[in-house]
Amino acid sequence: MWIKAVSQPTLGKMTSDYKRFSGNDMFALYPQLKTQREGAGSFEAEQTSSAKRLAVWIRERKPGYSLPDYQLSAGAWTLMHSAKPGMGLLSWTRVSISTPAELETHPYTASPEEMASTVKTAARLYGAGLVGIAPMNEAYVNCQAPQPDPQSKQDRQPIDIVFEDVDVPLVTATKRVIPKKMKWVVAIAIPMDIDLLSRAPTSLGDAATALGYSHSAFVVSSLAEFIRGLGYQAIPSVNDTAQSIPFAIDAGIGELSRLNKLVTPEYGPAVRLCKVFTDLPMAYDKPIDFGLVEFCKKCKKCAEACPSRALSFDDAPSFKTRGPWNNPGHEAWFEDSYKCFEYWQRVNSGCGVCVASCPYTKGAQAWIHEAVKATASIAPTTDGVFRVMDNAFGYGKQHDPEKWWTNDPPSGGRG
Amino acid sequence: MTMMYEGGTLTIITRKRPWWQWVLAFAWLLSEVLLLQTALASMKEEEYRAGSICWIALIILATAGVIAWLRQRGFRWPDESGREH
Repeated sequence: MWIKAVSQPTLGKMTSDYKRFSGNDMFALYPQLKTQREGAGSFEAEQTSSAKRLAVWIRERKPGYSLPDYQLSAGAWTLMHSAKPGMGLLSWTRVSISTPAELETHPYTASPEEMASTVKTAARLYGAGLVGIAPMNEAYVNCQAPQPDPQSKQDRQPIDIVFEDVDVPLVTATKRVIPKKMKWVVAIAIPMDIDLLSRAPTSLGDAATALGYSHSAFVVSSLAEFIRGLGYQAIPSVNDTAQSIPFAIDAGIGELSRLNKLVTPEYGPAVRLCKVFTDLPMAYDKPIDFGLVEFCKKCKKCAEACPSRALSFDDAPSFKTRGPWNNPGHEAWFEDSYKCFEYWQRVNSGCGVCVASCPYTKGAQAWIHEAVKATASIAPTTDGVFRVMDNAFGYGKQHDPEKWWTNDPPSGGRG
Repeated sequence: MTMMYEGGTLTIITRKRPWWQWVLAFAWLLSEVLLLQTALASMKEEEYRAGSICWIALIILATAGVIAWLRQRGFRWPDESGREH
C-alpha cells in the first residue's frame, strides 16, 4: 500500500546527450587515474603497501581481518570468480539443460502474466530476494566489454556489444551480439547478509558482498538455463554487459538513492543486483515510489558516514558528474568513485559503510522498521524525525567484528 | 468497580468505562507489545542501544499503565498506621 507503482522512475531522468556506458568503471580506471594524479609508480606503490598492511593485520589478528575473517570473504567469492561473462556459468547459450525439442515437446507458452509469474517463482526458488520484469533498453547496455582473457592476442582491446537481428546470442573474440528480439529483462536483487555487512569496513563486511555476488552468479545462471529449458534464449549477467541499476528501477525493485545505488523498500541498499535478458514474452512491471528521493534529500546519513567523503551532500540530485567513472546524461547524486576506491586500498576491503549506515538497511526481525518505512512513504514530513531517531537509537554503527563468529549465522547468509 | 465498607454496609459501585479509556488501554497494550518485540529483536540483532532504549520505554510505559489502572480502581496508598488515607 505504501509502495506505489508509477509510470516514470522517481530519479534517473535521461537527457538527449546520454550515451551507452563504455564499461570503464573505477576498477578499470583507477590505475590510470592514480598515476595521473600522483605520478608514475604511485599505483604500484599503493598496491605493495596495501598488501603489506594486510599481511600485518592478518598476522596480528586485527578484528575483522584475522585469517578466518579474510578467508571467509575469499571463500565466498569462489563462485563469482569462476563466472566469466559469456562463458561457463555465465554462458550466453545453453550449458546442459535439455531443450523442449530434445524432450519431444514444444516451447512452453502461456499468457505474459503467467510467464512473468512462472519466471519470478523460479528466480525466488534459486535465491532471488526481489524480482521484476523490465523492458529491454539498449541505452542501459554497455557499448563495450573488457577482454575476458588478459593473455589474449587481442591486446586487451575491449569487445563491442551490439544488437543484431539474430536468433541466438553470439560471443566471439571481437564482439558480443544480443539478439534484437530480446525485449525482456528479468531484474533481480539478492539480499546481502546484514550481520556481516554491519561489520564493514573489514574483511567480514566484504564477505557479505562476496556472498551476494556468488549468489547472483548462481541465480542468473540457473534462471537462464531454466528459460532455455522452456524453449527461449537467455543471457545471464551480474555486473557485466549492462548497468543493473536502471533495469532494476524500471522493473520496480527500488529507487535510485543518494548513494547512487538502488535502495529497495525491503532490504534498503543491502542488495546485489543481477539480470537475465530474454526473448521470453512476459508482462512488464512498473517503477515504484516509496518516498525514497524525498527521504534522501533530508537524510544525508550515508554521506556523513562515508569515511572517504565520496558521496554527495547536495540537497537535490543533478546532472553534474564527478569524473569519468560516471556516465553523463542522467540525473543522480553522483559519487566520487576515486576517493571511494582509494579508501578501499587503505582498508583492504570494499568498505560498504554507506550501505550499512543507510536508515533503510535494517534487520528483518523488528516489526517497527516496516511501520517507520510506511510512515515515511505516506507522510514525508516525518522524514526528519526518523532521521534523528535513527541516529539516537544508534543504528548504522559498526558491530563488533569479533562477535560475529559466536553468532549462529542463518543458512546461506540471509540474515 | 469500587467496594466500600462503612457502618456495617457494603457498597459496590460499578461504573461503565468511557469509550476513550478503552482506546487508551488498547493503544497502551499495542505500544507495550511493539516495544517488547522491538527490544527483543534489537538485542538479537546486536542493536544494543536501540534495544536498551526500548526496554527503558517499555518499563516506564508499563509502570505508568499500572499506576493509571490502580488509580482508576480507586486504590489508596496505606499511611504509616496501615490504614488507607
